[in-house]
Amino acid sequence: MNRFVSMRIAGFAALALGFAVLPFAGLSDYWIYTVTIGFYYALLAASWSLLVGYVGRISFAQAAMSGLGGYASALGVIHLGLPVGLGLLAGVAIAGLVGFALGWLTLRLHGAYLGLTTIAFGEILRITVTAEHGITEGSLGLRVPALISGGSRFDYYYLFLVVTAACLVIMGLLLRSRVGLFFQSIREDEDGSASLGVNVTLWKCVAFAVSSAFAGLAGGLYAHFVQLITPSMMSLQEMGIVLAMAVIGGFHNILYAALGGMLLQVLLEMLREVEQWRLVVFGLVTILMLRFAPNGIFGTLIDAVASRRKRHD
Amino acid sequence: MTDQLTVRGLRKRFGGVVALNDIDLAVEAGELVGLIGPNGSGKTTLLNIVSGYYDADAGTIAYDGTPIAGLSPHRLARIGIGRSFQVTKVFRRLTVLENMLVSGLSDWNETRSVATERAMAVLDDLKLTRLAHEPAGNLSGGQAKLLEFARIMMLQPKLVLLDEPFGGVHPELKRFMYERIREWNANGVTIILISHDMGSIFGLCRRVVTLSYGDIICDGTPDETRADPAVLEAYLGDRHDAA
Repeated sequence: MNRFVSMRIAGFAALALGFAVLPFAGLSDYWIYTVTIGFYYALLAASWSLLVGYVGRISFAQAAMSGLGGYASALGVIHLGLPVGLGLLAGVAIAGLVGFALGWLTLRLHGAYLGLTTIAFGEILRITVTAEHGITEGSLGLRVPALISGGSRFDYYYLFLVVTAACLVIMGLLLRSRVGLFFQSIREDEDGSASLGVNVTLWKCVAFAVSSAFAGLAGGLYAHFVQLITPSMMSLQEMGIVLAMAVIGGFHNILYAALGGMLLQVLLEMLREVEQWRLVVFGLVTILMLRFAPNGIFGTLIDAVASRRKRHD
Repeated sequence: MTDQLTVRGLRKRFGGVVALNDIDLAVEAGELVGLIGPNGSGKTTLLNIVSGYYDADAGTIAYDGTPIAGLSPHRLARIGIGRSFQVTKVFRRLTVLENMLVSGLSDWNETRSVATERAMAVLDDLKLTRLAHEPAGNLSGGQAKLLEFARIMMLQPKLVLLDEPFGGVHPELKRFMYERIREWNANGVTIILISHDMGSIFGLCRRVVTLSYGDIICDGTPDETRADPAVLEAYLGDRHDAA
């Protein structure tokens, strides 16, 4: 194992440990709740960066996939009597399958056409959930059974921490495997990738499926934590927030995107007094990041530290 | 000798433009065939159809006697048809070694350690070892052409289609590439080479096929090609004197 990989593992372990001890640093219940939601956004932003940053396939349906996972799990538990764990798995499977279908549907699309199609797809999902009032309660929102009955803020905090960390490890392992190499070769050049024996069609669909499945898991966890879900979690505004989180954190790296998710969630809460203006500010910061620091805050910081260290060596 | 590649009645149109007009071509195993012709004569279209990037409007293609028309590019790569592109398609944000590993690991029977070992041997052969951990985006144009060669070698192909491999390459590097192409061919790899560099074509190939407006107008030795009035009129003019 080279030094760079060891440092990344050590950094990830230190972060996980930091979050593990955070509740003992005198955090109020409110902030424990906020950071727990931050884990949801971290997972969602990381799942988006897996698709966009590593495979080069843009999607604006990630929030819709999260909602799909949430509704599938909730409805499975409420109407089919599934245990919550099984409901979550069903949500993951359904989001993954629908993601695969979206990947297949958009195989030959690129750029604006791909983006617009994913927006349309996400909107179809959101409007369907809103319209099927008899099943989903529409805009009123669906009351969802708890993930841990009688669970405390601490229980949820640690569950979300463990699941988010585990998902990041799984994504990292996937991206380090040959499949991750195929993903990146597709991002770089689809024709070149196919000429070397990579099944571009299959792996593009798989990338959508995997990314959507993680989004579905995030949505399921969120639904059973908050115990109320509404179609607004699938909206384009919500998608815009996830996009800003990944871009500001650094969408070429799943960990940076996840940290962006946590950072913006915390900032959203801290700046609650300025209401909708915080979204304007985040929008502006996102545009500036894309123009001047496409690797995001964390990517740019770590690159700067690495090049400084190189100069000293 | 058996045919490695057999093309019969191949036809392709792009709107009103006839790119290939009932092409028949048979290439024997172990041949090194040059494919020449003016711009728009159908050379790259033929390569794109054989390597699965375009569908033909009509005609059949057989590789080792098996029909391959309609197979996707990745399937064709896996059964031994390697190709390069006019504009190199190296993966710029991946390292040179990772570029090589994509080619090796697309075979699911190959482990990463075996693929890495093979990749390093190929890179060594092409004098690219010192660049193994460099992002491919940092390579010069000639080095990128060499990396494309190296990635194809990782596939262990039986048939290689090279589309303008010498474009913008320094003469010294070009000579190095000649040696490698000859070595490949001597090891039994069938090669079809597209180039506008007549020195390379006539120096490397024992057989030259000339296309013009989608038709094969000459199929012969370099001497026969140079002397063919149709080739002279359509393409060579007096430039073969310089070659």
